Amino acid sequence: MTFKETRAQFRAKKVSAKELVQDSFKNINKHEELNIFISKFEDDAIAHAEHIDNNFSDFKDLPIGGIPIAHKDIFCTKGKKTTCASKMLESFVPPYDSTVTRNCYEAGSIMIGKTNMDEFAMGSSNETSFFGPVKNPWQKSLVPGGSSGGSAACIAAGITSISTGTDTGGSIRQPAALCGITGLKPTYGLISRWGMIAFCSSMDQAGPFAKDAFGCSALLDAMSSFDTKDSTCTKRQDKNFEASLVNDFGKLRIGVIKGIEDFGISESVLKAYENTKDVLQQMGHSFHELDFSELSSGICSYYVIAPAECSSNLSRFDGVKYGHRAKAENINDLYLISRSEGFGEEVQKRILIGTYVLSAGFYDAYYRKAQRVRRMIKSKFDKFFESVDLVFLPTTLDQAFKMNRESSDPNKMYKEDLLTIPANLAGLPAISFPNGFSNNLPIGAQFIGNYFTEDLILNTTNKFQEVTDWHKMTPS
Amino acid sequence: MDKIELKNLLFLARLGANEKDYLELIKKLENTLQLIDQMNEVDLEKFEPLNNPLELSNVSRADKENDRNAKRDFLDNSPRSDEDYFIVPKIVE
Amino acid sequence: MAQNDTLINGWQPVIGLEIHTQLLTNTKLFSPSINKFGEEANTLVDLIDMGLPGVLPVLNDGAVKQGIAFGLATNAEIAKTMVFDRKNYFYPDLPKGYQITQLHYPIVKNGSVDVDGKKIRIHQAHLEEDAGKSMHDIYDLESVVDLNRSGIPLLEIVSEPDISSSEEAVKYLKKIHQIITYLDISDGNMSQGSMRCDANVSLMRPEDTKLGTRAEIKNINSFKFVEKAINFEIKRQIKILESGAKVEQETRLYDSIKDETRSMRTKEFANDYRYFPCPDLVPYNISEDLIKEVKDSLSELPEEKQKRLIETYNLNEYDAAVLCAEKSIANFFEKVAENADALLAAKWIIGDLNALLNKNDIALSESKITTANFSVLIQKISDNTISGKIAKEVLEAIWESGEDVAKIIEDKGLQQISNESELEAIVDKIIDDNPSQVAAYKSGKDKLFGYFVGQVMKATQGKANPGLVNIILKNKLI
Repeated sequence: MTFKETRAQFRAKKVSAKELVQDSFKNINKHEELNIFISKFEDDAIAHAEHIDNNFSDFKDLPIGGIPIAHKDIFCTKGKKTTCASKMLESFVPPYDSTVTRNCYEAGSIMIGKTNMDEFAMGSSNETSFFGPVKNPWQKSLVPGGSSGGSAACIAAGITSISTGTDTGGSIRQPAALCGITGLKPTYGLISRWGMIAFCSSMDQAGPFAKDAFGCSALLDAMSSFDTKDSTCTKRQDKNFEASLVNDFGKLRIGVIKGIEDFGISESVLKAYENTKDVLQQMGHSFHELDFSELSSGICSYYVIAPAECSSNLSRFDGVKYGHRAKAENINDLYLISRSEGFGEEVQKRILIGTYVLSAGFYDAYYRKAQRVRRMIKSKFDKFFESVDLVFLPTTLDQAFKMNRESSDPNKMYKEDLLTIPANLAGLPAISFPNGFSNNLPIGAQFIGNYFTEDLILNTTNKFQEVTDWHKMTPS
Repeated sequence: MDKIELKNLLFLARLGANEKDYLELIKKLENTLQLIDQMNEVDLEKFEPLNNPLELSNVSRADKENDRNAKRDFLDNSPRSDEDYFIVPKIVE
Repeated sequence: MAQNDTLINGWQPVIGLEIHTQLLTNTKLFSPSINKFGEEANTLVDLIDMGLPGVLPVLNDGAVKQGIAFGLATNAEIAKTMVFDRKNYFYPDLPKGYQITQLHYPIVKNGSVDVDGKKIRIHQAHLEEDAGKSMHDIYDLESVVDLNRSGIPLLEIVSEPDISSSEEAVKYLKKIHQIITYLDISDGNMSQGSMRCDANVSLMRPEDTKLGTRAEIKNINSFKFVEKAINFEIKRQIKILESGAKVEQETRLYDSIKDETRSMRTKEFANDYRYFPCPDLVPYNISEDLIKEVKDSLSELPEEKQKRLIETYNLNEYDAAVLCAEKSIANFFEKVAENADALLAAKWIIGDLNALLNKNDIALSESKITTANFSVLIQKISDNTISGKIAKEVLEAIWESGEDVAKIIEDKGLQQISNESELEAIVDKIIDDNPSQVAAYKSGKDKLFGYFVGQVMKATQGKANPGLVNIILKNKLI
């Protein structure tokens, strides 16, 4: 069932919250081998559902009232283990809630568990998790994408109708594409980062997953709120995204990147991309070519800035106040051994890269230069949005790939983020939605919009999904 | 990057590695740095560094107290603590 | 730049100070937990001060205003835009593994203060968060961490290397202390660590154009130690330089017990703080309006207060300057002057009270002297209840016990004898007992008058009203 159907049934009292939770757990058990969850809260979720059923009138009009939800294990949940898929936080129990999970709770949803992910959100395949990789519900030998792989697989496997993720370089959109669902990375600053474990503070942004744009809209309404606890959160939550799905934004000018086929995109993805352009054209939208030859430099910039910020953000994990602590005789060993044991290989590698690019003598050559690239990318987009309403492009270069591919060429994994990273660097909202199918595997495409145009993005995606069926496909 | 540089880097990041793995680690890091170096192909002088995409300013709060101390919880989360303090191996100055 | 009177063995000391002052905000720089000293360990710690995962800092605008106030009081430039950076290093009392500070865009730049007619330039003053505290003496093999101090706002005031002697360094430090306490932005309490000082010391020959290599002496926690630490360091460097060796650029700790500086354990590798703009915070533009708001609410500065005391109480310039050296003393004076003779109060504060404070090396607030008991003391002197000599005794008694002035006078029977007939009887007895001296006096030995006064005082244990004794004696000895 889609979110829309689920909620309609709950509101019509055709199904109780408790039954929805029970259904979710039935599916969790069925898909145990996908390794989607790090924590499950069956008893708590049932109790919460009973409370909701007993107070039905208080919950029925809330945007996600009575609906089971899964949260990426990067969001702190008070009194409930929050691991970020790291040995470092294997037994960390935060004494506070993230704003995202709190907002979702207040909007009436029932948290059934915390989903698996790449360790500290660093990865594009979910293979860096300390708790083992998540498997793609479409084909178990393939990755679901990452870093929010668990949350995406959760939707694809039909366990919940909505889930939360975070997107720093594509961590919502890429797994959405690889799992055949819809996922939105909002404008940087629309959703509070309070209580969301930081990877790269200037790019991290939480966002919703659902099968379709409708579910994403309702969850976005619940997740977003102005939060004075996050200095980078902006007061721009005046829109009702679900309500604006019925708006008529008219015929849109859609930008496409000139020569996109030369960026190493696979045939199947390109074919779906072209087909979608046809559909959009039939819907009355027009296309405009954009010159974005510097697109690739986004990856360089990202792999400087994200490791730099991460090297600093992850310094707090030192074995002193919380988290993994090794046996050590002196303080330096305590740091060194705790951190070497607590962090996985990819995380350590990024910390080292980040430390390197910030160190004396390299700051200007790497960090400042990367910040200049960032400005260039942002000004590119600023210019684009003078003449177009949305930019349309594929989400990924290829479809879901086999596990353990990375070892052959690590840079290939990094380049995987080529098409998603620009939106993070510029802080722009972007959605990935299913737009094709090949080899029994889903394909995704993106709309990138101007700042705070989530309503337009969701509306356009929703209209596209009214005339297409890609988002309705489910793994057998 | 040579072994001494790597050693320094590991120390700054408080990470450990076996000396026998140094060369392999250096190779990995240099591989990533090569990817990064491609940004030198773009002329960037006219672009000022951008820290934060929205370029907000002046976010502050009033100087008012909000007590969220949870000493017990804080210390309980610590791998080693007593009634009052976080405990670490002796620091020698 | 060299001033010959500060040369030591032909070497010119070149000194710069970095002064850390904790600001007197209600809450911490980036968290809403209380900014206070001396509470139970780890009770003034917020999620943010703990550096828990996912928590975020939000700037306290109270600290911004206090920083602006300092800039205004030191004729400095107030930043149009200030930016916070992260300074990355590992230490158990630094919960996030980085300190949020200001490197390139500090709140205050290019100020100066006047120290005995010499201008000492302030390079910059920036806002940053304090670290927690590690303690090493609770357990044998382990150290403990208290995070109550973690996140308290600091203003770090960095001078140019304009200071030429340890004495001048102390004077400069006292000047800064005076300014921050007058502004009410810090209590400047060095023993509690709310004001701490690092000193950069190097030596050069007067004819040199380049500064010598400097050593940084960390965390000096009293005015006295600043002088001693710098003196030690100057001697140490002279010894090195005159042996033909080179001073090493390093950080040293001052050990006040051994009165020496020693090198902090040399790290295997140089520190590299990897500063970069803190992505959790946004730049802060300081508007003219905000500066005006701070200016309009600025507390009275020392010079202004001095001027006002001279006008209001008819004090001379010297007395007013001494009173105003410390805000707490000046305020104490004004409070006492509300209920007692101002000039007399000034005289007693500057003289006897100051002497007691210096002798015991404590602050007025830490003593048992209050404006209430001190006012009564001055009143008792004014109305001749006690003589000046007795007053000294009473002041010492209050200093010791803090007891009520009237009670001390009564208990000790220190009340001045101003009863004429009582004194006459005593004078009569002394005249009777000393016939030869009386005869000598009457024959012209005027100097003997003092002898008779002394005898009266002796007989009354100094309690006789001296004025009255003089009159009575003069009358009786005609």
